[in-house]
Amino acid sequence: MSQPPSETKRIDGIRLAVLTARFEGIARKMANTLQRTGRSGILTIARDFSCVILTAKHDLLATAESLPIHVLRGPDIMARTMAENHPVLRRGDAFLHNSPYHGCTHPADHSILIPVMDDDGVHRFTVLAKGHQADAGNSLPTTYMGAAKDVYAEGALIFPAVRIQQNYQHVMDIVRMCQLRIRVPEQWWGDYLAILGAARIGEREMLAFGREVGWDLLESYTSEWFDYSERRMSDVIRAMPAGRVTASATHDPFPGTPPEGVTINVAVEVKPDAALIEVDLRDNPDSMPNGLNLSEACALSAPMTAIFNSIDHTVPKNAGSFRRIKVHLRDGCIAGRPVHPTSCSVATTNIADRVANPVQRAMADLGDGYGMAETGAVIPPSTGVISGTHNGTPFVNEVYIGYSGGAAAPTTDAWLTIMHVGNAGMCYEDSIEVDELRHPLLVHARRLVQDSEGAGRTRGAPGVFAEFSPVGCEMTVAYVSDGNLNGAKGARGGGEGGKSSQFRRHADGMLEPVPGCAEVVIGPDQAMVSVSCGGGGYGVPSARDPARVAHDVREGWVSAARARDVYRVALAADGAVDAAATAALRAATVTETAA
Amino acid sequence: MTLRFAVDTGGTFTDLVVAGADGSRSMHKVATTPSDPIGGVIGSLRAAAEAAGEPFGDYLKRGSMLVHGTTHAINAIVTGNTARTAFLTTLGHPDILVFREGGRMEPFNFTVEYPEPYVPKALTFEVPERVMVDGSVRLPLDEEAVEQILHRLAAGKVQAIAVCLLWSIVNPVHELAVGALIERHLPGVPYTLSHKVNPSIREFRRAASTCMDASLKPIMGTYMRNLEGRLRAEGFEGRVLVVTSQGGVMDAGNAAETPVHLINSGPSMAPVAARAYGGAETTLIVGDTGGTTFDVSVVRRGRIPRTRETWLGQRFRSHMTGMPSVDVRSIGAGGGSIAWVDAGGLLHVGPRSAGAVPGPACYGRGGANPTVTDAALLLGFIDAEFFLGGRMHLDRDAAAASVQRAVAGPLGCSLDDAATAILDLATEHMVQAIFDITVNQGIDPTGAAFVAGGGAAGLNCVAIGRRLGCRTVIVPETGAALSAAGALLSELSAHQQAMFYSNSAAFDRDGVNAVLERLEAQCRQFAAGPGAGALESSVDWVAEARYPDQAWEIEVPLRAPRFASADDVAALAADFHAAHQDVFAVSDPHSAVEAVGWSAEVRCRVASGDPGRLAAAADGRTALPSRRVRFASGWCDAPVHRFETLPDGAEIFGPAMVESGFTSIVLDPGTRAVRDALGSLMIEVTL
Repeated sequence: MSQPPSETKRIDGIRLAVLTARFEGIARKMANTLQRTGRSGILTIARDFSCVILTAKHDLLATAESLPIHVLRGPDIMARTMAENHPVLRRGDAFLHNSPYHGCTHPADHSILIPVMDDDGVHRFTVLAKGHQADAGNSLPTTYMGAAKDVYAEGALIFPAVRIQQNYQHVMDIVRMCQLRIRVPEQWWGDYLAILGAARIGEREMLAFGREVGWDLLESYTSEWFDYSERRMSDVIRAMPAGRVTASATHDPFPGTPPEGVTINVAVEVKPDAALIEVDLRDNPDSMPNGLNLSEACALSAPMTAIFNSIDHTVPKNAGSFRRIKVHLRDGCIAGRPVHPTSCSVATTNIADRVANPVQRAMADLGDGYGMAETGAVIPPSTGVISGTHNGTPFVNEVYIGYSGGAAAPTTDAWLTIMHVGNAGMCYEDSIEVDELRHPLLVHARRLVQDSEGAGRTRGAPGVFAEFSPVGCEMTVAYVSDGNLNGAKGARGGGEGGKSSQFRRHADGMLEPVPGCAEVVIGPDQAMVSVSCGGGGYGVPSARDPARVAHDVREGWVSAARARDVYRVALAADGAVDAAATAALRAATVTETAA
Repeated sequence: MTLRFAVDTGGTFTDLVVAGADGSRSMHKVATTPSDPIGGVIGSLRAAAEAAGEPFGDYLKRGSMLVHGTTHAINAIVTGNTARTAFLTTLGHPDILVFREGGRMEPFNFTVEYPEPYVPKALTFEVPERVMVDGSVRLPLDEEAVEQILHRLAAGKVQAIAVCLLWSIVNPVHELAVGALIERHLPGVPYTLSHKVNPSIREFRRAASTCMDASLKPIMGTYMRNLEGRLRAEGFEGRVLVVTSQGGVMDAGNAAETPVHLINSGPSMAPVAARAYGGAETTLIVGDTGGTTFDVSVVRRGRIPRTRETWLGQRFRSHMTGMPSVDVRSIGAGGGSIAWVDAGGLLHVGPRSAGAVPGPACYGRGGANPTVTDAALLLGFIDAEFFLGGRMHLDRDAAAASVQRAVAGPLGCSLDDAATAILDLATEHMVQAIFDITVNQGIDPTGAAFVAGGGAAGLNCVAIGRRLGCRTVIVPETGAALSAAGALLSELSAHQQAMFYSNSAAFDRDGVNAVLERLEAQCRQFAAGPGAGALESSVDWVAEARYPDQAWEIEVPLRAPRFASADDVAALAADFHAAHQDVFAVSDPHSAVEAVGWSAEVRCRVASGDPGRLAAAADGRTALPSRRVRFASGWCDAPVHRFETLPDGAEIFGPAMVESGFTSIVLDPGTRAVRDALGSLMIEVTL
């Protein structure tokens, strides 16, 4: 900052820090309530949920540690929808929202919005809790309907900010509709109570906070906090190299896509002079007759996730820093604004990842030290939805048996358990014992796949092999596994991560390949075999510190042959780096490249 | 006259509290010697003997018991000084320690490395075997394969072995067989079986505890032998006990056999002391402010809550112990926390600390960064001439220069305002840490009392109390050595637990009762063994229960050690609904309740639970010169009282300072403080 510090700025620095800690504390408290009280594994074990606070003008203020794809954009649109559909808001109201046409990520993410009304009836803030449901009432027992040709085939009930509590009482008409449509309704009811409870906790805390420090102070705080965040973002962009980079990523062919799959084009332009980053997603195909189409929330959040992954992580993520990012979308585009009845069933993952990944790779193209490689694609069977009936009792839930997928960063190897780019590793991986206790399931194996990491100066995560069977019944495994054909690309010369694949193992041990997007029924004497994607590498592999390569070999992540052929590192019999032989190998690489 | 000693070795200071037979206490602090922590233990005892004017050997001979809290185990892990340990796991699951449980903090921060597994994969071996969820054996143990693995371990110079197989908690037959093979083929190599050290579900947590335990056996065995040996050599003839993570104590010899219990040995005693001073009727929030960390714990109407999620450092970025331990949350905030201003003009305090070396700028040891201690000095909260009772002189100019350069300058404010802001922000971080452990679990701080421990606690304990809405802040007279004071009051204890699933809608009374009977037999065995000769012993019974399909259990105390009738089952369900409402502000009273685990904690009292009284200060000074102190209302002249010589019942009104040879307590305007019968300063905070 070049301008002389002012008197008001002093107040900002102190007050901002203290009040920010309060807001984040409230959002964290909401999240804690949700995790501890939910019923389905996807909320309480995997933690697939988010909690945020917005201003009365629907600006995103505090997100605690939410899933990026859930919250960067979308909550603002959802809150606006609430206010527009319900011009009179009252204390005690709560709204159920899962409409992808009105700001929600996808129909599986049931969200509760509660307007925080002060004692004079003025709408001051909105708290929002959003959780991925074990089941949302789709036509098939999965929340990922990759093949659904439209929202009707998808089948979930859609709630565009529908009042589900009035005067703190449930609107039982809505509750009964859900109970008649959603599988395992007791589980849904428990999860609904948990999400509602989290939002109510947020409301209670915000009311106490406002009464304590005064609503006007909070209002001036929010505008100061947004300005501070915008300043931080501007400073970061002003220091970046200028440039416009185009990049693309291809989603595997799925039902309803062209035979060659879906190629997503992104154009990223960094304008240091204007302190602005622009992303253009308009040069992409129209919406398709399947569940891959993005919601507006995901189309906006995916490139922003990639941008924030690519820069100084201490810049706050809120409506203030968002002023320095422009994302251009098109109506009726697969990576734009969907038009009803387009299905957005799997909007948070597949195409969203194919938007975010090339954006962060494009950022890397701007200069060493920026951007990231690509994160592995999802959703493999090992993180799919399992269902069936065991001893007369139905079960349905998403399991998190095995995932990795992390992308290499400029100075850091991949965080192993990222899952996918929009998740950022915020979910938890299941305990095998807990899975086997809760479901009629036997997990034969869960292990990393050697040599499936994207090689690089820093390397991506290896993929995961998982094999599991039902116990005493049949089990349907529903999944939408992108990455069978298109692995995660590396950045700045980094290698591609291993591809995904999936099989049915028959009783005789034979492996039968099964499609990338399917609901597969596994018999009690069979097993589902799932291989998930690795993540891409950053920088050329021959620039990797040989000691780290030796460590990867010792730990079994990388074979000695790959160390020699890809990383150009020679190891002695005891596993130590052979410095002379390595230097010779690497000198030869330079010669080959030059030739 | 016999003496009892409690020594708590911290990162900066080794604290000793000595109890005489008449209940009197004396408190001593010496510098910790990181290279030889037992030397610090002996040094603190030597200091006490000197203060008592007795020859060291004679003084030690009077000791009947020494209780030791140590960070040696956690330090060994953090510095990588544990044994070369192998991990034996079920076939197909070699990456349990690599995957951990997923989870991550700071979603956009890609500058932090993914943590290495506690045991490297190079030392991880898959054992062909598989037990199912119901205890049936799907794949019998391949003993030949195990023998081959053991041969490789011998060749690989492995010093300890951890065995964690899936579902060993339901049927341990394979773990026991592997243990027998280790004893046969690698006699003398220490090993740990998961179902013995931590019989709980979730294979990652159990494997983590097992590996930590095995890896600590050699070093903690040596430490305990040396501790006892050196104390004996100096003339100590009493019993040597160590503090466990669960807030109890065990014999040093037994602790060496299950060293995983010692990982959180230090801070677990602060709530025990707080309970003795604050009473069992109210809820107590316990803050222990040291140089680098602020540890928070809670006492809920006499009960000290436990957690299974204990991380050795930051969540997800460090190792989780997987062991039940007193729920103590630590954040990087303390007297040494560094303050700075970022590029956008935002003030930060911590988590970086100046530590003991170089320390705050005012220590004059080369520290250039301003710390909370420097800010406190500038505000007059600390007396440059009477720091630690005058044993150390502080450099006010150095403090002023560092705060001016790093905070006041960049913020464009006065030195005074900068110092106040540093204290305010440190207070806010501590308050948020307290909220994490209280409000988030349904504890309302406004109905609680705040117990302030640790050398730096007095600087902002009133500010914290006010911000929390606590009307009462308690500073015990032994507050500066709160953990050591607690260790003198602790009980010999052992935690017995078992997994057994039962649903309240179809409760298996006989099955549960059989489990409880087994636990009770283990408790009786402990009471007759290590607990023999105790003043009294008791057992606390707990069910780990949840609503159907919930993933996380909460602890519900049992009213009786057996389920005699359906009424007892109904009582458990009712207690669960109430506990769930209490913790999470919601309950589902029409739902069935699932109990999945049962535990019994046997506690044998070896000494009085009375915290005793400190003997008066030797120098007899009752008051110190008044000085300028800056409160929220501005600078004023504040009288300075000497804590040690303040008579019981004495009443002080803020603005004032209360100082001892160990700490400095700030009484803001509007507060009223009274010294109570236990010697504590009871501060009434105006909200």
